[in-house]
Amino acid sequence: MNRALCALKATYNFFSGDAVLLSAAILTFLLGYLLAQVLKAPNALVAVAFVAIVVIGLCVSLGREVAGRPRQR
Amino acid sequence: MGLLSGPLAGVLIAAFLASTVEFVEAFTIVLVVGVTVNWKSAFIGMAAATVALIVLVGIFGTALVVFIPLEALRTAVGFLLILFGLKWLKKSVLRYSGVKALHDEEAIYEEQMAEMRARGERPSNNVDTFGVVTSFKSVLLEGLEVAFIVITFGSASASNVSARAAGIAYAAIGAAAALILVALSGALIRAPLQRVPENTLKFVVGVMLTSFGTFWGGEGIGVNWPGGDWFLLALVAFYLLVSFALVTWLRPYGKPRATTSGETRTPAIEEAH
Repeated sequence: MNRALCALKATYNFFSGDAVLLSAAILTFLLGYLLAQVLKAPNALVAVAFVAIVVIGLCVSLGREVAGRPRQR
Repeated sequence: MGLLSGPLAGVLIAAFLASTVEFVEAFTIVLVVGVTVNWKSAFIGMAAATVALIVLVGIFGTALVVFIPLEALRTAVGFLLILFGLKWLKKSVLRYSGVKALHDEEAIYEEQMAEMRARGERPSNNVDTFGVVTSFKSVLLEGLEVAFIVITFGSASASNVSARAAGIAYAAIGAAAALILVALSGALIRAPLQRVPENTLKFVVGVMLTSFGTFWGGEGIGVNWPGGDWFLLALVAFYLLVSFALVTWLRPYGKPRATTSGETRTPAIEEAH
């Protein structure tokens, strides 16, 4: 792996290291901006969507960690 | 209200807790260098890394406070804090539920000691380059995340330039207090700091970072949170509830925790950090 790729990977690992969490964070801000600034959606809707995507991202990321694992207890 | 109110108190506490976790991890490596090589090399490396981190916070902190408009800053800071927060929260939820092993400073200490001995490192009185570099790298790498938290937290915590500078100062004070506490505890104990509840701290900091990130990020894109700064408390409570629910959901997938008699034990370390 060349140095540029190594640096890129190290930066990615430092800030996130998890594609699902990174995607969720990006989606949160893109959708939030779209709703608030472009579609002029009601404040409550933007706020709920903003928080919901963060939580969904965390749930999906955690779900992937245990996917395929048997329940131990 | 005084200067240390609302978000600023949160900034100080979050910076202190986050720094405690990272410095405990860095201290384990510094301790290994101190014991296997010598304390002079360990302290030189640690001091050099601390100076590097202070310079980093000074340069980037000042640049952010002076040159970046608040709305843009809060959006960027919110994004970064949500990323850091979710990363910490995910790790601590996995550890609480038993899916990942708890961070074990004693095991890391033994592992690092074995590595250093395998390299043929023996105690000496001279400054050892390898010892200095190892100590420097561990403190710098662990401290880098703290530096980012200090800069982002501090710079987004207030609306005018002087208050934002104060925010960075408060965050830096929190980080410095953690460094002093860990260094003093380490100097007294001279053993890995096992009793620090690292996962609990990581969990609390994860919730705080995600809450502040959501709050400032939302403000940055134009959300008006009901109740102003007080809504932060609602966000903290909400993310705490969600996290506890997630731990409950994942617990059946985790291995049983160790007991005092030690009959059931998860693998020592599945992940270094």
